[in-house]
Amino acid sequence: MKKTIAFAALGLSTIAFGQSNKVEFTEYDLPNGLHVILHQDNSTPIVAVTMMYHVGSKNEVVGRTGMAHFFEHLLFEGSENIGRGEFDKYIENAGGVLNANTSQDRTFYYEILPSNQLELGLWLESERLLHSKVETKGIETQREVVKEEKRQRNDNTPYGSIMQESFSRAYTDHPYRWTPIGSMEDLNAATEQDFIDFYKTYYVPNNAVLSLAGDFDIASAKKMIAKYFSGIPKGTREMYVPEVKETMLTAEVRDTIYDNIQLPAVIQTYRIPAQGTDDYYAVDLLGKLLSQGSSSRLQKALVDEKQLALGVGAFPFGMEHPGVTLAYVITQSGVDPKDAEEAIQIEIDKVKKDLITDKELQKLKNQVEADFVGGNSRMAGIAESLANYHMYFGDANLLNTEIKKYLDVTPADIQRVANKYFTKDNRVVLYYLPKQ
Amino acid sequence: MKKSIFAFAALALAFSTASAQVDRSKAPKPSAAPEIKIKDAETFKLENGLTVVLVENHKRPTVSFQLDIDYVPFLEGDKAGNSSLAGQLLSTGTTTKSKEQIDEALDFVGASLNTNSRGFFASTLTKHKDVVLGLASDILLNPSFSQVELDKIKKQTISGLKSNKVDASAIAANVSNVLRYGSDHPYGEIETEESVEAITSESIKEFYTTYFRPNISYLVIVGDVNRKEAEALSKKYFGAWKKADVPVATLPKVEAPEGTQVVFVPREGAVQSVINVTYPVDLKVGSEDAIKASVMNNILGGGIFSGRLMQNLREDKGYTYGARSALRSDENIGYFTANANVRNEVTDSSVTQFMLELNRLRDEPVEASDLSLTLNSMNGAFARGLESSQSIASFALNTIKYNLPKDYYKNYLAKLSAVSVADIQEMAAKYILPNNAYIFVVGSMDVAESLKAFDTDGNITFLNYKGEVEEPNTMQDAPEGVTAEKVYDDYVLAFTATTDMKSALKKIKKLKDVTTKGKASVGPAELDINTFKKAPNMYAMSVLYGGAEVQKQKFNGTSGKSINMQTGASDLEGDELEAMKIQAQFIPEMSYATMGYTSTVLGVDKVNGSDAYVIEVTSPKGDKSKVYFDVNNHLKVKNVSTGEAPTGESFTSITEFKNYKNHDGYLFPMTTEISGAQDLTIEVKEVLVNSKLSSDIFN
Repeated sequence: MKKTIAFAALGLSTIAFGQSNKVEFTEYDLPNGLHVILHQDNSTPIVAVTMMYHVGSKNEVVGRTGMAHFFEHLLFEGSENIGRGEFDKYIENAGGVLNANTSQDRTFYYEILPSNQLELGLWLESERLLHSKVETKGIETQREVVKEEKRQRNDNTPYGSIMQESFSRAYTDHPYRWTPIGSMEDLNAATEQDFIDFYKTYYVPNNAVLSLAGDFDIASAKKMIAKYFSGIPKGTREMYVPEVKETMLTAEVRDTIYDNIQLPAVIQTYRIPAQGTDDYYAVDLLGKLLSQGSSSRLQKALVDEKQLALGVGAFPFGMEHPGVTLAYVITQSGVDPKDAEEAIQIEIDKVKKDLITDKELQKLKNQVEADFVGGNSRMAGIAESLANYHMYFGDANLLNTEIKKYLDVTPADIQRVANKYFTKDNRVVLYYLPKQ
Repeated sequence: MKKSIFAFAALALAFSTASAQVDRSKAPKPSAAPEIKIKDAETFKLENGLTVVLVENHKRPTVSFQLDIDYVPFLEGDKAGNSSLAGQLLSTGTTTKSKEQIDEALDFVGASLNTNSRGFFASTLTKHKDVVLGLASDILLNPSFSQVELDKIKKQTISGLKSNKVDASAIAANVSNVLRYGSDHPYGEIETEESVEAITSESIKEFYTTYFRPNISYLVIVGDVNRKEAEALSKKYFGAWKKADVPVATLPKVEAPEGTQVVFVPREGAVQSVINVTYPVDLKVGSEDAIKASVMNNILGGGIFSGRLMQNLREDKGYTYGARSALRSDENIGYFTANANVRNEVTDSSVTQFMLELNRLRDEPVEASDLSLTLNSMNGAFARGLESSQSIASFALNTIKYNLPKDYYKNYLAKLSAVSVADIQEMAAKYILPNNAYIFVVGSMDVAESLKAFDTDGNITFLNYKGEVEEPNTMQDAPEGVTAEKVYDDYVLAFTATTDMKSALKKIKKLKDVTTKGKASVGPAELDINTFKKAPNMYAMSVLYGGAEVQKQKFNGTSGKSINMQTGASDLEGDELEAMKIQAQFIPEMSYATMGYTSTVLGVDKVNGSDAYVIEVTSPKGDKSKVYFDVNNHLKVKNVSTGEAPTGESFTSITEFKNYKNHDGYLFPMTTEISGAQDLTIEVKEVLVNSKLSSDIFN
């Protein structure tokens, strides 16, 4: 569905390539600071045109939460040269698709077009960056649409509030304490000047990556990019990036949420280091150890052996600033959530106490290899990953080399990060219980 | 009005000097259209009849294997879910390997293998293909179907079903199927806790032995293996699979509903309504109409954002995050649905827009520009699909399975470009049926009433999450301090149009007799229905057809008779006589206590949109009925009594009292609607108070 909220980590933590499938690319900066990445692959006559802006809910301030995501909706409204509702029509008339999503750290727009329509995609993205235009009707309508998006995803879906409830307790100062959908009151309160300021600050070439992948000729693509993007002036306003003051929690937070559900659930949120740090790779592998595949430790213990869980997992949300691992269990009918939580604890304690075996390590590495080789088979995915790696780490080539960081993780590393981050004091524990 | 509240063009001047040569005012023209090439798939057959479809792709060292067992769906009856559980159970053990060993072996090589009721899907790095196929083959040919693992899966499935009870989208998906196909069609069967409980390892083995046969199956291989390897692998791992004849079920005929039917599944605490306008459609995969009909659906609300439903309900009205439609072709029976999740307050407005768009598509030719946008977009979607080798494989598989012309997919784009405005109108007339549709909503009870107007008969059918008819429970607790006595007293005050009990009782004492003369229609026949009451406890009722009395009941305070023109007369006895004693009172409620009836306030419920106290009245014999009194005007508005028919079946009779009017200082309902075993609306034309009725009428 169009215009969604994404968690950047899902794309990044698991996907890249082994050396056997090296992704070739060219990259350069325009004088105005726009970073360009080009990956040519002529096997299918399509091209993915993508723009990533380094702005997400992390750049929002109290009282104006939800701005980044709301902006993503507004920037489909049109420009000086594109009327309201025409953005979609141009792309669909050209046989393409378009969409966008917003995470805590970035906003991502893309079109996938037949390869002869590359220039159309570049024109549209440059219009969006240069002089977007939004009418009152568009703002009012998109406010309602975003409210419906929130109702559909969070309020009317069992367990749909897990992210908000967990993040709001796992952070006290950092903007990660709200999720990209933000507050509806804040959206209602936003003024014309707020919109103008946000656009002029963050929607500037020096805060964006243009990444293309697919069936095109590099030389002519460069020419077209220069034509549409080189004249766009560089941004000069200061961008707000919050300071990282808190990295770990200091005392356990416990709470109960009564939701419209039938089966109780327990959600543990542990604060973890930022993506790209050495510890992060070990934490990511710890997540796989616990929950990737039916033989993983939590699956085997809680679903199979003890039959406590309908579903269980532990997934890191790697983010630009220190993120979280969410360990969750949805209990089977009739199971006391306390027993389920205890069973998770037993498995976490085992990792803290005993080194994983060589065989388990090999399994994790084989899984990483399969994920890397199998991932990013589509042009749009490759364009996004290259942009991600450049935006967060200044190194798009991590798409080819990040696997090494995983392969370097040792059993001792996994044990160490389990002891360091998966502690009682560093977590939020939420019990989701049925309302009646 | 200001056209735009903000425009981000402050720097346009600086910009225009920097790149004066770019004309931004017009969209750039595309270069020459690329050629769309469809790679060929290869197919071959093993001796046991297994058809293998191969699409080679050596771009990356991965390969997938899909087994598709193509039996005709059949009814599972009281074991609904049997085949689905069999599919899950398949991967949980073979005669030589435990579930743990299988899971460990797959995870160790980072591969996936998921089994289902029609086979499996596996994907792996090419270098581990023998590990994965070895497991797949063992699972398929030597399953153990262990009781322990079956019990685990049953427990899981039942937990999942419990969870789905409150999930609006799960309810919508299940109940849509029941509505469209009926529960006597395999597509309309849904798993329930009871049906899952009933599944045994024997029933699973029987399903497996009967249907899991190579001669009706396809093995689809996509990725990094060549033809020679594919042949060797298929033979090695699936050559020993034994063929056998497989039964072919005959499916019941499915029809779109008569009229427009509003169906509602209440979901407590819902903040959105999940709307589906849906009905079954006979549209076969690859049929003459399939491409044209799918273009028609895309204009309405298929894959594209420019679809009419999305533009209307989201971009113009802001009712929803997304509104779409789907028109599914199927080898047996397909369906149409138009759907959106909308906030409660705009549920009826959204349905109005859905119906408007469906009718517009039927009634008006589409704009040529709408058609060309849709065709362009579908053309592009087809080309994008070719990025995945799985699409190529599904083209090949469909061609064989549905007996399509060999060049069906090669000609797809040519056929697409030939679709005309007239074709769209023809398809809309055939497949868009707003007058034969279910308007099916899962949502808060508060919004149900607003949907009545869309139903052809003005009645909403309420279903539960399983798609079974179930009157919703909307009752809320009554406020503190509300007692049956208080409600009855208020009713007496209202009936007598007085404000204190003393005057009320005085007025009731003055009431000597009441006659009502009413008319009712039963089919084409018009009946006169007259009732007579006389103090202290006499009652008579007479039904006339064409001026002749066809039925009569009378009660003189101690004994009574029931007289029927066809069956003759009989004395009232037992329960009937007891009931008459209370019915003969002007205000039965005033006599309940002395006659041994007990009254309990159950709560507050809606009657025709207004709040009413619900009082459960229990007769000395134990029969229960519910009586409803309007919270605001205190009048009796409804009576629900359950009785036992002579056949032993229980039946419910609902009587609603409406249009109270004042006659000589007393309020009487001018309309009485009776529903249950027989539906009857009596309109009172005349009320006579204290007309000195003779006691003869009652004897």
